[in-house]
This record gives sequence, C-alpha cells and structure tokens, in this order.
Amino acid sequence: MLVARIVQRDESALAALYDRYAGMLSSVLNRILRDTQAAEEILQDIFYQLWRTASRFDPERGSLPGWLLVIARNRAISRLRRHNPAAGEELVETLVIVPANLENAVAQQQLLSKVKSALESLPKEQRAALELAYFEGLTHSEIAARTGDPLGTVKTRLRTAVETLKRNLQI
Amino acid sequence: MSGPHPTRLDDFDLYALGALDADERVLIEAHVASCPDCAQKLAEAQGRMAILAFAAPRVEPSPGVKERLMRQLHSTAEGSGASAVPRVIPESAAGIFGRWWAVLVPVASALALATILLWLHNVQLERQLADLRDTLRHQQAQLDEARHMAALLAMRDTVVVPLWEQKTPNTVGARVVYNAREGMMVCDGMLPPAPADKSYQLWLVPMNGAPISAGVFNPKSGQMSHMMMKVPAGLTAKEFAVSLEPAGGMPQPTGPMVLVGPIS
Repeated sequence: MLVARIVQRDESALAALYDRYAGMLSSVLNRILRDTQAAEEILQDIFYQLWRTASRFDPERGSLPGWLLVIARNRAISRLRRHNPAAGEELVETLVIVPANLENAVAQQQLLSKVKSALESLPKEQRAALELAYFEGLTHSEIAARTGDPLGTVKTRLRTAVETLKRNLQI
Repeated sequence: MSGPHPTRLDDFDLYALGALDADERVLIEAHVASCPDCAQKLAEAQGRMAILAFAAPRVEPSPGVKERLMRQLHSTAEGSGASAVPRVIPESAAGIFGRWWAVLVPVASALALATILLWLHNVQLERQLADLRDTLRHQQAQLDEARHMAALLAMRDTVVVPLWEQKTPNTVGARVVYNAREGMMVCDGMLPPAPADKSYQLWLVPMNGAPISAGVFNPKSGQMSHMMMKVPAGLTAKEFAVSLEPAGGMPQPTGPMVLVGPIS
C-alpha cells in the first residue's frame, strides 16, 4: 500500500503516486486557474502535504484520488478567489468516496470519455451552470448574478443537471 | 444531532459542488458533524462531484514539478513543533512563593509579556520564511525550465518550429521546440492578451489522427515565456497550431487559428 510506505518515508512511493495522479490533478488545476505556473505550485504543494500528513489519512475510510481531487479543486478555487492558498490543510479529515476506479491512466481515460459525453448530453444552460459551480466555485446566488437568470431558475437548473448526470453516469 | 436531516439526497451533491449559499452550507455542516449516516452520504456526494474534474482537458504537468517535489522532501526539515514545558512548583517552595509573591507576580507577568512578544516575532519570522520559500520555489522553477530548455535544445532529434501569425502574413508569433522521442515541447513567443472568457490552446497535429491538446494558456501580458509542455512520446507531428478557445480549452479545436507552424 503506497500510503503506508509514504508514512514509512519511502520517497519512491510518493513518486509512484505522483506518476499515477499528477496528470489528473494538473488537468483540473489548469482548468480552474488557467495559469500553468500557479497550477504547478499547487500540484507540488498537494503532494508535499500528502508526504507530511499521510499518517493521518485512512485509506479504509475513503479514496485517496478522490481526496486529492477535492483538495486540488478547493485550493485552486481559494487561489482564484484570493483566499489563503494554504487553507485546506484541515481537509485531511475530509472523507471522499469515489464511485469509480481512478487507479490508473486507462481507467482515468475511460472516465474522462464518460464524463465528457455525459456533460455534452446536458442542455447548454445546465452544463454552463454546472461548470460555473465546479470550475469557478460559484454558488447559486453568484451564478444568478453572473448570468442574470432568476435564482430559482439557477437552482432548478443545477439540481436537474446533477440528477441527470448521476443517472447518465450511474453514480 | 444538530438540525433535521437534509430532505433531499441532492442537497449533499449541491454542497459538494459548492453551489449552496453560506446559510445552506452552515445547516448541512452543523448536521453532518453529529450524524454519521449523513456524513457518509456527504462523502459519497464529494466523490460523485469530484469526478466532474474529468471534464477538464488533460494537461500533463512539466517534469520540473516532480523534480522540485522530490528535492523539497530533502530540503525541508520536518518541524517537530515546540513542546510546552510544564512549570512545576515543588511543595517546599510554596511557602517561599507565598512570601515572595510581591516579587514573583511582576516577574511572571513580565515573562508572560515576553513570551507573547516572542510568539508574535516568531509568527512574523514564519511569514517571512514562507515568502522566502515561495521566492526560492519560483526561482527554482525558472532554473529547472532553463535546464530543461538547454537539455531539449542539445538533443539531436529536437526541432524548432516557427509558428506563423494567421492575421499578419510572414510574421512569426512564436516558436515551438519539440522532441518527439521525449514527448517534450517548449513554446515561446508573443500574443495579445486573450479576452476574459477565452484561452489560447496549443495543439500538436499528428500525421495521422485528430489534433492533441498540448496545453491551455492565457498569457496576461502577451508574453509566452518558455512554456514547457508534455505530450505523448513518439508522435510524428505534422504541424503545431494555437487557437483561441472558450475559457479552459476544448477537447478539439473549435475557435480561430491564431498561429500555425507546419514542420518542414
């Protein structure tokens, strides 16, 4: 188990996890930040945080790639909103259960195709609202202010988008 | 348990998505803190929403990130944290303390004040250290980029491809240094700042098959300075191109081509 080896200060285990998940994390960081240098700084920080706090992560209770994705997104949104980028340290306790295999590049590629296809099947407005929430960290009210749509419409749109996505992805 | 259960499972998904406004978030957080069943549902929702990350175009990090990370493991000493030493007053000293309280109380107050001042100083020093680490990391990144650029240029099978502006004939807007065997490329040049809702996207067009995204960038100043990108190794490229795409990039080019550079 790679996390257990990181706890034992095995650098090759961290390198192996980096090879497995860096591309996945780099993609979402670049999509949110649109700034390669900032994305790479956060990517390095996340793996360094994993190195320092691996002993507090319980693989039995949650998914490591899922946790990494949540941390990466939170850090990027914080940076985007000029919040303290170091925030997120406490999220080591965040429990994430991912309903998909993310353990290797092939599985990640398959999931990428499925997610893209599921998103493309959504009506344009629903997809846009979902992307504003996930990739720009906007709340219902902020999306309504950005798009000029009524708050109730935005709420219905997002709820419907999430329901459709779950049904199409069977998650 | 704090507050009622959220009435809809989707509430957890919307929380994980970050779409709930502050008042709605607080209600869920307060409830989940004391309800294991809902904490489990929230964990599952976090995972469901996390896979939305796969809607982002694939962007591989430059090799320098891993190198810096592995160096960081060696260079940063693990902080052990200062441990407070308990102050113990021996039983026999209690009487002495009783007699000398008028002296000890001001001394203790002074020590407490000194401790607070030292702590504040320490906080300030830690901030300065963090700034210095950021500067060092930035400089290290620049050094790594320069090293990679030099190594890439030294390889015999590396090609340098000028990218021609499409609006202004016979004008080179950027250049790509590419090594197919290593799957490495560096882009350098000048472009006008992209509009707020747009990003520039660099494409490798292979001899066979669809264009492959080599990265999305949004040069604020117009300057692309040694942007290093990783693409699948072993591809025979026909040309490189930069297009203007919706913010965040697209799986395939949809916008106007800004720069194009065929490999001669």
